[in-house]
Amino acid sequence: MIEVNNLSKSYGSTKAVDNVSLSVGRGELFGLLGPNGSGKTTMIKMLTGQIKPTSGSLRVHGVDVLEDPIRVRELVGVIPEQETPPSFLTAEEYLHFVAKVRKMKDYEAICEKWFEFFDFKDQKNSLCKDLSRGTRQKLMFAQAFLHEPELAIIDEPLINLDPVMQRKVKDFLSGYVRNGGTIFISTHILEIAKQICTSIGIIYKGKLVYTGCLDDPVLEGRNFEEFFLDLVSRPVNSNECASIPAQYA
Amino acid sequence: MRNKKSMNKTGRGFMFDIFKSMFKEEWRMHSNLFGNMGFSLFPVFIFLFTFLVSLILPIFREIFTYTQIALGMHYLFLLLGGMVGAFGLMGREFMNRRFGQARLIAYSSRTLPVSERLIFANFLLKDVVYYFALYILPFVAGFALASAFVPVESFHSSVTLLILLLTLSLSFMIGLSLVFFLSTIYAHSGKLLISGLLASSIFLLFISGNLDSSSFYSLPSLSFFLLPSKNQFLLSSVLIIVPSVLSLLFLKVDFPQAKKSFPNSFSKLCREFGSYRYAAFVAKDLLDLKRSEGGFGKLIFSFLLPAILIWMLLSALGTVLPALNTLILFSLVLGVLSSSMYNWLTEYDIFASYAFFPLKVSDMIRSKLNSYLFLNLVPLLLLVPLTFTKDPEVLLPALLLFISISLYMVSILVYLTGLSPSINLYNGRTFAFYTLSVMPLLMMNIILSMFGSFYVLVNLLLLPLAFYLLGKSFRKWDGIESSRF
Repeated sequence: MIEVNNLSKSYGSTKAVDNVSLSVGRGELFGLLGPNGSGKTTMIKMLTGQIKPTSGSLRVHGVDVLEDPIRVRELVGVIPEQETPPSFLTAEEYLHFVAKVRKMKDYEAICEKWFEFFDFKDQKNSLCKDLSRGTRQKLMFAQAFLHEPELAIIDEPLINLDPVMQRKVKDFLSGYVRNGGTIFISTHILEIAKQICTSIGIIYKGKLVYTGCLDDPVLEGRNFEEFFLDLVSRPVNSNECASIPAQYA
Repeated sequence: MRNKKSMNKTGRGFMFDIFKSMFKEEWRMHSNLFGNMGFSLFPVFIFLFTFLVSLILPIFREIFTYTQIALGMHYLFLLLGGMVGAFGLMGREFMNRRFGQARLIAYSSRTLPVSERLIFANFLLKDVVYYFALYILPFVAGFALASAFVPVESFHSSVTLLILLLTLSLSFMIGLSLVFFLSTIYAHSGKLLISGLLASSIFLLFISGNLDSSSFYSLPSLSFFLLPSKNQFLLSSVLIIVPSVLSLLFLKVDFPQAKKSFPNSFSKLCREFGSYRYAAFVAKDLLDLKRSEGGFGKLIFSFLLPAILIWMLLSALGTVLPALNTLILFSLVLGVLSSSMYNWLTEYDIFASYAFFPLKVSDMIRSKLNSYLFLNLVPLLLLVPLTFTKDPEVLLPALLLFISISLYMVSILVYLTGLSPSINLYNGRTFAFYTLSVMPLLMMNIILSMFGSFYVLVNLLLLPLAFYLLGKSFRKWDGIESSRF
C-alpha cells in the first residue's frame, strides 16, 4: 500500500527527512515512531501529497504521489496532527461538509454511526470551535474514516483522547486492520505502538534508524523503551536503517 | 509591607510595562504575519507613496481645492482610526485561526492582576502611539517633503504641516474612540447597536441629497486645521475623550456569544443550492459570516456604512464639481470596496484545514471566488435601485463598470495574495504592486467619467485581463508550498 524510496525533504540546510525507504503492505498497522521533531509529520505530509519531497519517490495505494496527489487524498483517510475543523460549522455540519467534498452520497446514516461510536451525539449541533480538544479529535477521526478508505494515515491518533476513548480507538484500529484495512500511524508514545502495531519504523533526526516488527528476535525479552531510547540518543550515520545497537545484536 | 508611595510608583511602572509589552506584541504580531523586512518597509512605502502623489497634486489643483484635499485626508484618517479600532477589538477570531488560540494581552485581564479598564486604557494608548508612527507620521513626512519641491498652496509652511500632523492624529483618534464606543454598545446589546446604525444609515441616505457640502467640514479636527481655534480643538478632544471614557466605564470584554447550538443549516443551504459545484463551500462561507463575531453586522459595519459615507461624500463633491458623474464614480468606488469582501471570506479558515482532502489551493480560491460573486449581490442591491432612482440612463454603464472593476480588483488581489490577502497585502512590496495596479485605473476612470458615462465601458476590457490573471493565479498558488497559509 505504501512504497517509499530514498525520500528526502530539506528546508534550506535542514534535512527534515533524510533518504528514507520503507514499505507497508496491505493489512499492516505500521507505526512510525520517533521523538518530537524527528520528521514524522513531514513524512505524513509527503505521503499525502501535502508537501513535495526534495528527492526520492513514493507510491501510495498504487498511485504515484508526485504525479497525482489529489487521487491519493481521494483514496486515503487522513488525520493531521494539528489541524482542527473549521470553527463555525457544527460537528454534524462538518461531517456533512467532508462527505460533500468527498462526493459521497447517502452519508447521513454513516455520520450518525460515528456520533454513536464516539458517544458525542449530544454535541453534534455544537460549533466546532466550542468542542473540547478530545471531541475535536473524535471528529477528525470520524472524517478520516467517513468514506471507508482502505488506507488511513494518522498523525498521533490518540492525542487528547481520554483512556476510555483511547481503548475504543485502539480496538477499532486493530479490527480495521484485521478486516483488510491498512493503517500508517505516527506517534512518539511507545505504548501505542507496542499495543497495536504489526510493524514499526523508528525515525530520528530525519533518518529511519530501525524498521521491523515487535516480534523481531532482537527485541525478544528486552525492554522496548530502552531499545528505542538507545537508538534515538546516538549520533546518526548515513544508511543507518536497521542498524541495531551492539548490545541487542 | 510597601508604603503607599512605592505602591503608586510600582503601579505606574506596571502600567508602563503593560504599554511596552502591548507595543512589542503589536510589532511582533505584524512582523510575524508579514515578515520583518516586509512590514518594516510599510511606513517607508506610505512615505514614498504620499511623497509621489503629493508631487502631482498641482495637476489636480484645477479640480480639487486646498480645502477639499484637507477634507479627503482628514476623513481618510477618521476611517483608518475606525478600522484599526474595529480590528483590535473584534479581530480575535481572525487571530485565533491564524495563530491557534491567540492570547493577546488585551484579553488577559482574567489572568493578570490588573483591571480590564487599565488594560484597555493601555490598549487605546498603544493603538494611538503605534499607528501614529506607522501611518500618520510617514504620511505627513511624505507630504512635507513634496511640499518642499512643489507649491501646494499653504501646505508648504512648517506650522501648517505641524497642525496637519496634529489634526490628522485627532481625526484618527476620533475614529478609534467612536468605534471603541460602538463596540462597547455592541458588547452590551448587538441588536441595539445594529438597529441604531441601520436607522442612522437610512436617515443619512434619505437626507444625503439635501446635505449641504459644508456639513462635511464640521468634523472638528478638520475645522481646526482649516481655521485653528480653541473651540474646535476642545470639541475634537471631547469627541475623543467622552466616547473613550464612557467605553471604559461601561467596558465589557466578552462580546455577546452567538447561540452555541445550531440545527443543521449547512445541509439545508446545500439542498437549496442544488447541484451547484461549489454549493458546500459557499454554504460554509455563508455560515462562517453569519455565525462569527458580529454576524451579518459585518456587512453593515465594513461595507454598507462606508458605502453610504462614500455616496454622501460623492454627492457633496458632485454639487461642487458638476463635471463629475456621481453615480459612475460611486460604481467605481463600490467595485473597489467590494473586493474587500474577498478578505472577509478568507479570514475564517486557512488552507491547512483542507490540505488533507482531495483539494488543491486553486480549488479553495475558486470556491472563495464563488462566495465572493454571491456576496457581490449586496452592492448590486445597493447600486441598482440607487441608479434607477437617480438616473436610469446611467444604469447600464454603472452596472458594467461595477462588475468589471470588482472582478479586476479581486483578480489582482488573488494573484498577489492568494488565500491570505489580509496578511500578504501588508507586505510593503506586494502593497506597492497592488497600488500600482489599481491607482492609475482609478484615476483614468475619474477622468473618463467626466467625458460621459458610456466612456467607462472601456473597462470591459478588464474582464479578459481579470480571467487571464485568475488562471495565472491558480497555477501560481498551486505551485507554492506553504506550511500553514
